Amino acid sequence: MTRILRNSLLAAAALFVGAACTDPTVAPKSTINSETVFSEPTAYKAYLAKLYAGLAVTGQQGAAGNADIGGIDEGFSQYFRLLWQMQELPTDEAAVSWGDQGIQELNTQIWGSSNSFLGAMYYRVFFQVAMVNQFMRETSDAKLNARGVSTALKDEIAGYRAEARFLRALSYWHGLDLFGAIPLVTENSAVETMPAQATKQEIFDFIVSELTAIQADLPAARTGEYGRVDRGAAAMLLAKVYMNAETYIGSEKYSEALTEVNKVIAGGYTLDPNFRRIFSADNHTSPEIIFAVAQDGQKIQTWGGMTFLIHASVGGNMNAGDFSIDGGWWGVRTKLVIANLYPALGPASPDARSRFFTTDGFNTTMTDLTNFTTGVGSPKYTNKTSTGANGSHPTHPDTDYPMFRLADAYLMYAEIALRKPTAGATTGQALTYVNALRQRAYGNTSGNIAAGALTLSFILDERARELFWEGHRRTDLIRFGLFTGATKVWPWKGGTQAGRTTDAYRALYPLPASELIANKNLTQNTGY
Amino acid sequence: MTRYGVFALLATLCVSEPALAQNTKITGTVRNADGGAPVFGATIEVTGGAATRGALTREDGRYTIAVEPGTYTVRVRRIGFSTDSAAGVVVRAGATATTNFTLRASATQIVGVTVTGYGTQEVRDITGSVKAVTAREFNPGRVVSAEQLIQAKVPGVQVIESNEPGGGISLRIRGGTSINASNEPLIVVDGVPLNVGGGLSSGRNPLNFLNPNDIKEITVLKDAQATAIYGSRGANGVLMITTKSGSAAEPVLTYSTNFSTSSVIRTPDLLSPNQFRTAVTTFANSNVSKLGTAQTNWLDRVLRSAGGIENNISLAGIRDDARYRLSLGRLRQDGVLAGTTAERTTIAMTYSDLMLNDQIEFRANLKGSRSDDQYTPGGVLGNAIAMDPTQAPLTGSSYFQWTDPLGPNNPLADLAVLQDRGQTYRTVGNIEAKYFIPRVTGLSATVRTGFDLATSQRTSFSPSYAQQDKETSRGGRVDRSNPRQFNTVFELFGNYNRKVMGATVDLTGGYTYEDQTGDYPYYYSQGLSTDLLGINGVPSAQITQNSLYVEESKLISFFGRANVSYADKYLLTASLRRDGSSRFGPGNQWGLFPSVAAAWRLGDEAFMQDLPFSDLKLRFSWGVNGNQAFGNYLYIPTYTFGGPQAQYQFGSQYIATIRPSAVDPNIKWEQTTSTNFGLDYGLFNDRITGTVDVYTKTTDDLIFTVPVAAGTAVSNFVTTNIGSMKNTGLELGLTAVILDGRTSPWKYDASFAFSTNTNELTAISGSGTDQILTGGIAGGVGSTIQVLQPGSPVNSFFVYRHKKDANGQYVTGDKTDAQLYEDLNGDGVINQNDREVYKNPAPKFIVGHTSTASYKNWDFSLTARAYLGNYVYNNVASNLGHYSGLRGGAPTNRHASVITNGFVNPQYFSSIYVEDASFLRIDNISAGYTLRDVFGARSARAFVTIQNAFTTSKYSGVDPLAGVNGIDNNLFPLSRTITAGLSIGY
Repeated sequence: MTRILRNSLLAAAALFVGAACTDPTVAPKSTINSETVFSEPTAYKAYLAKLYAGLAVTGQQGAAGNADIGGIDEGFSQYFRLLWQMQELPTDEAAVSWGDQGIQELNTQIWGSSNSFLGAMYYRVFFQVAMVNQFMRETSDAKLNARGVSTALKDEIAGYRAEARFLRALSYWHGLDLFGAIPLVTENSAVETMPAQATKQEIFDFIVSELTAIQADLPAARTGEYGRVDRGAAAMLLAKVYMNAETYIGSEKYSEALTEVNKVIAGGYTLDPNFRRIFSADNHTSPEIIFAVAQDGQKIQTWGGMTFLIHASVGGNMNAGDFSIDGGWWGVRTKLVIANLYPALGPASPDARSRFFTTDGFNTTMTDLTNFTTGVGSPKYTNKTSTGANGSHPTHPDTDYPMFRLADAYLMYAEIALRKPTAGATTGQALTYVNALRQRAYGNTSGNIAAGALTLSFILDERARELFWEGHRRTDLIRFGLFTGATKVWPWKGGTQAGRTTDAYRALYPLPASELIANKNLTQNTGY
Repeated sequence: MTRYGVFALLATLCVSEPALAQNTKITGTVRNADGGAPVFGATIEVTGGAATRGALTREDGRYTIAVEPGTYTVRVRRIGFSTDSAAGVVVRAGATATTNFTLRASATQIVGVTVTGYGTQEVRDITGSVKAVTAREFNPGRVVSAEQLIQAKVPGVQVIESNEPGGGISLRIRGGTSINASNEPLIVVDGVPLNVGGGLSSGRNPLNFLNPNDIKEITVLKDAQATAIYGSRGANGVLMITTKSGSAAEPVLTYSTNFSTSSVIRTPDLLSPNQFRTAVTTFANSNVSKLGTAQTNWLDRVLRSAGGIENNISLAGIRDDARYRLSLGRLRQDGVLAGTTAERTTIAMTYSDLMLNDQIEFRANLKGSRSDDQYTPGGVLGNAIAMDPTQAPLTGSSYFQWTDPLGPNNPLADLAVLQDRGQTYRTVGNIEAKYFIPRVTGLSATVRTGFDLATSQRTSFSPSYAQQDKETSRGGRVDRSNPRQFNTVFELFGNYNRKVMGATVDLTGGYTYEDQTGDYPYYYSQGLSTDLLGINGVPSAQITQNSLYVEESKLISFFGRANVSYADKYLLTASLRRDGSSRFGPGNQWGLFPSVAAAWRLGDEAFMQDLPFSDLKLRFSWGVNGNQAFGNYLYIPTYTFGGPQAQYQFGSQYIATIRPSAVDPNIKWEQTTSTNFGLDYGLFNDRITGTVDVYTKTTDDLIFTVPVAAGTAVSNFVTTNIGSMKNTGLELGLTAVILDGRTSPWKYDASFAFSTNTNELTAISGSGTDQILTGGIAGGVGSTIQVLQPGSPVNSFFVYRHKKDANGQYVTGDKTDAQLYEDLNGDGVINQNDREVYKNPAPKFIVGHTSTASYKNWDFSLTARAYLGNYVYNNVASNLGHYSGLRGGAPTNRHASVITNGFVNPQYFSSIYVEDASFLRIDNISAGYTLRDVFGARSARAFVTIQNAFTTSKYSGVDPLAGVNGIDNNLFPLSRTITAGLSIGY
C-alpha cells in the first residue's frame, strides 16, 4: 500500500516534469497576431478604416482607452485637435484659456522643443505614416497572392491602397507645413533603421508624386462613399501643397495649383446655401465639403476632435444646450482684431459668417489669456443640426471636421489670379467666386465687392472671415509673410497683450526633443 | 540543476527498499530546555546493533529512525546546544521506542531557524541578509493587511499605506528597481509564491485574503543570496509569510475580539466661507450672485468617526503526529470617508501529519476569504474640498447642485444615490508531502502543489437622477466587472543534509511549474430604462457594451542551492536558478540567475573570545535576479480590434477597425545584480544584537516604454529593454535588552531600524539628455510633475525654479511666468524647456523604532518612524491655490495657500509646491494586561492601542507620507485609530 501510493505519486510527478512542462510558451488569447488577422477578408477594410480613424479618434476603445500614441493625455492626442491648435492658437484667430502643461505657450509663439502638444502632432503624423507603410506592406501583390486573396478583393484593395497613400500624403503635408524637414519613411524604407532627415524639397516632391500617382485608383469627385477620399480631395490637397510651395521649397507653383483648383471646382461641389450647416451636426449632407473627418456621437468618439472644438468654444453666458452639448469647457475664443473684420457680431449681423459670435458676458479686449471671458465668444461649430435637432450624444458631437471645402478653392483661385495673372486665373472669375461667397454670407448682393477691392490683403481678410477656425490661419499668414516678424502683430503675439515682434524661425515648429534623442540623424530646426 | 538532475533525483526516490523493520523504530522529540520549543536540525545517532544510523530532527523537533530489534544508545548533537544521550534504549520487533531529549542552549549562541526559499536554515548559518519578524513583534492594533504588521520593523523596508481600510499598500525593499515592471516584492505564503492580485479589485490590497491573526512570522529576504532562489521574481526582495499551526499538545482555543474607532487627524486647509466670499468678490465679481449665504464645512459632512470590529477564534493543537489549526475571523472596518467599508471573513485550516510509517510528512493549508467592500463614489472627497462653502447642502428638500456641469457635484447627493461595491472570494491552498528517504540520513524529497483562485465582482450604479447623469442626459448606468484569476503551482525539490569531514553540506534542487490564467469580463449599460433595479439587475438600456479579455502566463524553473558550513565558522552558499517565462519570445524565454555568498563566524574564533562579542558574523553576497512583472504577450506583434465607439464612417456604414501594435520582439528579462556586505553582531551575552548591511543593486535591461524614432514603429512609444538603474544603501539594525527583568520586575527592549537608500536612473537610451515625463497630477489635463532622466533618482520632480526676492522669500502675486520663474536656459522666454529636476519623493533616511516593555502583568509597546529628506508635491495646494478657479460657471473653493501666494493663474509646475515632507510619526502605542488562569481560561489579555498617535512634519498637506510617488492629490484622509480588545486562551 505504502509503496503503491508513493510510487504512483512519484510517477505522476515524473510524468508532469517530463511531459510538456518544460516549454513556457503561451499563445496569446484575446489578441490576434499578424499572421492570422488577414485570414478574414474584412481585415483589409478594417485596417483602412483605422487609417482614416487615425484622424478622428485617439485609440482603439473610443473616447478614451488603448491609445494610439503615448506621452500625452489621450484626449489631447487627437489629430485634428492638435492640428487645429497649432494652426489657430499662435495666430490672431484664437487663444485658449487653459493651464494645461504647455498649452499657453501655443498662444504666444514661445513654445520650446519639449512642448508635449507639438510632440504629439509630430507623432500623430508619423503614426499615420507608419500605419500606412505597414498597410502597404501587408497589401503588396506578393502578400495578397500568398494569402490567396480573390481577384475582386484585390481590385478593391487597389483602391484602398490609393486612399492610404492619400492619407500618408496628407500627413506628410502637415508634417512639412508644421515641422519642415522631417524624415521620409515609406513602405520601402528599411524597417528598424533610423530614418534619415529628408529635405523639404524631398518631402514636397514625394507628396506631389504620390498624389499624382493615385489619381487613377480613386473614384471621381463626389462618386465615392462619404468619409472616404476621391479625386476631388486629392486635387484639393495637391492644390494646397502647390499653393504654399514658396514656403516649402522657395519657389512658387501657382500654375500647378491653379490646375488642381480648377479640377476641384469642376468636381461638382456647390456652395452650401446654408452656411451654418457646414459646421453643424448634419454637415455630412453639405454639398460643399470636399473632405471631412467624420465624427459621430455614438460610433466615433474622442475627447479631442469636435468634442474639443465645440465644448471648448462654449462658456461664459452661453447656454450649452443651444449647441446640444452637456456643458461648456470655457477654453477657446477669438480676438477682437478678427471679430472686427466683420460688419457686426451676433445674430443681427448682415454677414451670416459672424452671427455665431457673442460678446455677452465677455470683455472683448483680451486682457488675460487665461480668462475665457476676455475676448470674443466664437462657438462656430455646433452639435445641433442645421434644422435645430440635437446631435446623437451630448458629449461627443456628430459634427464632422470640414478639412477641405469649396469656398477655400474659390479663394485660392482668387489669390492665384492676383499673385500670378499668367497662370490663367482671371480676376473676373476671381471676383465672381469671391462674390459668390459674399452673396451666400449676406443672402443678397449687398456685401459684394467691386473689382478694385479685390486685393491680396482683402483675400487674406476674406479667408479669415470665410475660413475662420478651420485650421488654415497659420499657413495663410506664413504665405503672406505675416505670421512672425513685426509687420503684423496682434494681441499676445510674442507674449504681451499688445503683441510684439517674433523671430522668423517660429514659422516652423521645433522637432520634438524626444525625437532628437530617439533618432540621432535629425538636426533641430534653426533657432530652437 | 537541470531537468536531468530532477530525473536523477526521481530515480533515487523510486528505488524500492527491503521490507524489513518497517514498524520497528526509535522516535522522539528534541526540545529546548528554555521554553520547550522544538529543536530543528539536531543530529540523532543510534549506535548498537548492526550499524550506526542517524537522522535529523524535523521542524517540530521530532525524529524517527527505523532499526532492527535490539538495544541502542541514542545521541543528540546540535550546534548551540549542549549534547545529550540516552543509553540502553530497548526496541522490540514491531514496536516503537520513544526517547525524548531536552537540550540546554549555550548562552552565547544565536539559535533558531528561519524560513528561506524552499527550505529552512539555521539563523547562525545564514549568509544573506534576512530578517524575520515574529508574531510577538508585529504591530498591534487595527491591522487590515499583513504588510502593516512589519511597518518600521525591518531596516530597508518601506510600507506605504493608502490610509483606506483594505486599500492598496506598496512595499519597497531597498528601493524600487524598475520603471515599467513592478517594484513590489514577491510574496510567498507557506512556500507558495502568490501571483494573483494585480487588477483583481482595483485599489484593494491583494493580500487582504490573509487574516493577520493567522500569521506566525514574516521573513524579509533582502539580498541576492536570499532572493536568487526565486530567480526572475526576486529583484524586489521576497516576503515569506508563514502561517500558524498547532504547537502545543493540548488543544488551545483562542478567542479574541476588539473594537476600534478612527477619526480624521487633518484635513486640507481651505478658505473659510467668509474668505471665499471675499475672494470671489475680488477676483470673480460676476460670480458673487452665485454665492449662497450658508457656512458649510463640506469636508465635515463627508468625513466621520469610523468604527471597526474584529473577532477571531482559533483552535490549534497536536495530536499524535498530527498538528492542526483552524481559525475563523471576521472584520468590519469603516473608513473615515463616508461610504467606505471593508468587511472580511476568513477561514484558515492547516494540518500536518507523519504518514506511511513516518516516512512522509504531509502538510495541507487551506485559506479562504470573502471580502465585501463598499467604495466611496469617486469624486466625493474632491468635490467636498472644491465645493463652495457658502452653499447650503440642501435647498429645501433637494440637494444643492450647480447648473454648470463643470462645477463640482454635491458630494452628499453622490453619497446618497451612487453605489459602488465589490466582493472578492479567494481561496489559497497547498498540499505538500515530504518524503524522508529511508537509510540515507538527511535526504528528503518534497512535492508541493498549490492553487490560488480569486474571483471578484465590482458593480457600480448611477441612477438617471444622479447629477452626473442628469448633466450628460445619458440616463442611468450600471457597470460590472468580474475578474477571475487562477494560479496553479507545482513544485518538486529534494534536500540533502550531511556532515562530511567537518563540513555540513546542505543541498537543495528542484523544479517548479506555475501557470496563471485570468479572465476579465466587463459590461456596462447606459441609458437604463428604469432606475429601480439598482445594482441588482440590468434592465433594457440604450447602450450595452460587453468585453472579455483572457490571458495566460507560465513560469517554469529549475533551481539548485548548496550551503556548506565548515567548522561551523566558515559558511558558503551558492545557488542557481533557470527560469523560463511565457512573457518573452523565442530565444529570450530562459534566464539564468546565479548567486554566491560567504560568511565567517568571526565571533567563534578563539582569538575573539576575550572580546565582548557574543556573536559576530561577516557576510558577503553577490547575485543576479530578474524581473518579469509586467504584461503578457508584449513580444508578439498583434492586432487590436477597435471598440464600437472607435469606428470610422464609410458612407452610411460604420466600420470597426484593427490596429497593429508596436512591439519589441526581443524583449527580455530585467536583470538586477546585487552585492551585499553585512555583519551580524551580538554584544554582552546578546544584550545588544544587530546587523549592518551595505548594498548596491544595479538593474540593467530595464523594461522601459520609451520614445522610438518616428516612422519606425506603429506607435511613438515601444516597450523594450533599455536603461539602467542603481540603488545603493546602508542599513543598520539594533536591538538592546535594556532591562532584562532579573533585577527588577521591569523588562525593556528597544530596537532601531535605520536605512538609507540612494536611487539613480543611470541611463535610458545611452544619451544623457533623455527626459520622459511621468507623474500625472490634477490640474490641467495630462499634466505631469515628474521626470525620468539619467543621473537623477526615478520620479524626480520636474518644475520651474520659482524666483525668490531679495529677502529670500518666494515671489508671489499675480505675475507672469517670466516674473515668477527662472529662465534656466536663458532663451528669454519661460516655456517647458525651462523645467528642471528638483528633489524626489524617496526618503533619504528612514528610521524605525520599537520599544517593548513589561512590568509584572503589564506590557507596553511603542512603534515610531521617521523619514528624512522625502519630498511631496502638494497637488491639493497647486490645483486649488489660484484665484482663476473662482471664475467659470461654478466658483470652487480654494486652498488656503492662495492667500499668501496670491496667484491668480495656476502655477502647477512651480517648485513652491514641492515640499519637504520629512516627518516623525508615532505609529502606535499599546498597553496590555494579562491574567493567567482566570475563569477557566489559561490566560486572558486586555489591551488598548492607539495608531497614528502623533505626527510632526513641516509638510503643509494632510499626510507627509503621500503615497509611493509623493504626489498628494486628495489622499484618503489619515486617521487616528484607538483599538481596545480582549483575547482569551483556553
